[in-house]
Amino acid sequence: MENGLWEVLGSKGLLKKHEFIRILVQCLYSLGFKNSASCLEIESNISYKSADYEFLEKQVLSGDWDSCVAVLDRIFDHSKDDTRNTAVYLVFKQCLLEYLKRGDVSLALNVLRKQAPMLRMGKEKIHRLACDIVYSNEMESGEVDSCLVQGLRKKLLVELEKLIPLPIVIPERRLEHLVETAVMDQIDTCLYHNSWDAVSLYKDHCCGRDQIPSETVQILMAHKNEVWFVQFSNSGKYLATASSDCTAIIWKVLDDNKVELKHTLESHQNPVSFVSWSPDDTKLLTCGNAEVLKLWDVDTGVLRHTFGNNNTGFTVSSCAWFPDSTRLVCGSSDPERGIVMWDTDGNEIKAWRGTRIPKVVDLAVTPDGESMITVFSDKEIRILNLETKVERVISEEQPITSLSISGDGKFFIVNLSCQEIHLWDLAGEWKQPLKFSGHRQSKYVIRSCFGGLDSSFIASGSEDSQVYIWNLKNAKPLEVLSGHSMTVNCVSWNPKNPRMLASASDDQTIRIWGPGKPNKPENWLYNQKP
Amino acid sequence: MDPRQFEHTVVADNDIHSIVMSYLLHNCFNETADSLASSTGVKQPAIDRDNMERRKQIIHFILERKALKAFELTEQLAQDLLEKNKDLQFDLLCLHFVELICAGNCTEALKFGKTRLAPFGKVKKYVEKLEDVMALLAYEDPEKSPMFHLLSSEYRQQVADNLNRTILEHTNHPSYTPMERIIQQVTVVRQYLTEENGKDAFPPFSLKDSLKG
Repeated sequence: MENGLWEVLGSKGLLKKHEFIRILVQCLYSLGFKNSASCLEIESNISYKSADYEFLEKQVLSGDWDSCVAVLDRIFDHSKDDTRNTAVYLVFKQCLLEYLKRGDVSLALNVLRKQAPMLRMGKEKIHRLACDIVYSNEMESGEVDSCLVQGLRKKLLVELEKLIPLPIVIPERRLEHLVETAVMDQIDTCLYHNSWDAVSLYKDHCCGRDQIPSETVQILMAHKNEVWFVQFSNSGKYLATASSDCTAIIWKVLDDNKVELKHTLESHQNPVSFVSWSPDDTKLLTCGNAEVLKLWDVDTGVLRHTFGNNNTGFTVSSCAWFPDSTRLVCGSSDPERGIVMWDTDGNEIKAWRGTRIPKVVDLAVTPDGESMITVFSDKEIRILNLETKVERVISEEQPITSLSISGDGKFFIVNLSCQEIHLWDLAGEWKQPLKFSGHRQSKYVIRSCFGGLDSSFIASGSEDSQVYIWNLKNAKPLEVLSGHSMTVNCVSWNPKNPRMLASASDDQTIRIWGPGKPNKPENWLYNQKP
Repeated sequence: MDPRQFEHTVVADNDIHSIVMSYLLHNCFNETADSLASSTGVKQPAIDRDNMERRKQIIHFILERKALKAFELTEQLAQDLLEKNKDLQFDLLCLHFVELICAGNCTEALKFGKTRLAPFGKVKKYVEKLEDVMALLAYEDPEKSPMFHLLSSEYRQQVADNLNRTILEHTNHPSYTPMERIIQQVTVVRQYLTEENGKDAFPPFSLKDSLKG
């Protein structure tokens, strides 16, 4: 056995055999295979529980509190550190509560006043014990439920286990933790990881291209001019597109992920460059740089309200919803109009106007409705906490063309005309953004989005007619998707389907991208006729 | 401050008598108040004698280590007063808990702590003081505990004063006497003058020194 202590396992010689076996035994016990566990203990002569811990366990379960304290002192090597004091305090607490349960108040107080101070666990802990006995519900005299007492003693052991140093006690579920850590490390280095289904213990984890949208599965051709904007609804069941043909279209996403036209929204006199879904997906807002804001009913496709009108020239460049789906906010490229919060009937609730409000390029509201992020012409980002009125300003060095917020509301990205995408944290803990590059952007408004499992990816349009995908861990593109023949203006990742992406292009089409398949049938592309 | 600066200011005896009278009645020194009235002829303000007697009893109970009796009498005098003033209710219950411990009646103290004090532990502002009070259980001789101040007559007096003021307020009487207000005002004014004009012109005000004459 002595030699066994130094035996190692694994090709790197990092795993001590006796530790490995001890952890295996623990795992077998925790999975309920008690016979197998004790069999392995006997066969290997390696016990899961150390002698000190076994002794402590015996004393706790039999209620021999003096011996418990003695063994704790031995375990903690007679040091009076706070962990030891906490362990002793827990033992005394159990002891006092048991006396109270038996109705033995004077004995409990005697222990509290005479024995506890002798153990030098500190005044604070002794005072805490006094409070514990007042707060406890124990204080009956007579028969004590032994099952209940045993249950409490077992709970005490669990608490003590957390305090006792290694290697006397092994942390709970150690093998599970080690395996999980190994798997998570593999996932962290897997740039294509986009589904929990792909994880198996039988092989080292590595996802392929088929985990992310990388092949065109459908081309939508209902618009008669350049398509400037695309966005999936919050439920992922609809898609909205906006075009310079002065229309917006609501598309339905079917169960097989095919997309079909639901409503063409015709009322705008000028190009539509922006849409926004209400959080409950029942309403859609549309607007454009030279256009007013319109509210549509998703189910019927009926125009419900026009905010302002063309005569007053209240043009809206971007808009966003609050979580309640009854309030919205819109920003104008006209500084005199500024930013306005409305209800869905068109009543103005609040406005931010004046010299401090320059031209609004883009805006968003966090999913919790607490903050509003606004991009002002043309390099400034302002994050306003709507409750506290505290505002944080981020100044970029290059003009910003668009803004997108992550699903959890913790991060946002901005596209810059210098061919970079910058990722910022909303909390303001980062001094510098994460930067992503590789796409082309110099003349036009190009939009990007978060997507995939846990928003692990960013996708963006590009002036070179391609769609770019990055993993957040890497500044260089993971995938470049070809298919469009002109500038890709906007992309949207389906929030409920991590393998579905839509892109809108000047070539008048919207492409739906899905996971790459090994053998594509001839009729793979599905044309949606206008 | 040089008395010559204010000794020409006339203060009527009657005003001084009224100030002293209100102080005596406020603090339930009713016999002294009667004596002052008969020897100076100062009129006693219309005050509920029964209310004053009860207040006197309540203060007496608190100072004589009978906090629970004070509690009960307060509830009789002003039914919902302690229910509305949780801070006072808490202070009185703490005093009773302390009394039980000092009397060596720990089993009773424990029961009382569980039923009447423990619920206050759910309110953040009471937690620290509650833990101090409960910690007395850990000492055979509470006088030698770090929380000995909870046993002091000063602490009891403070609780009695607070309760007295609250009862007065509850029965639509001023909670501070004119005498207290005048002293408070003088202190603040002198403090202000010292800050504005320097310590040489106006040395810091000391009530003790001015009482020496």
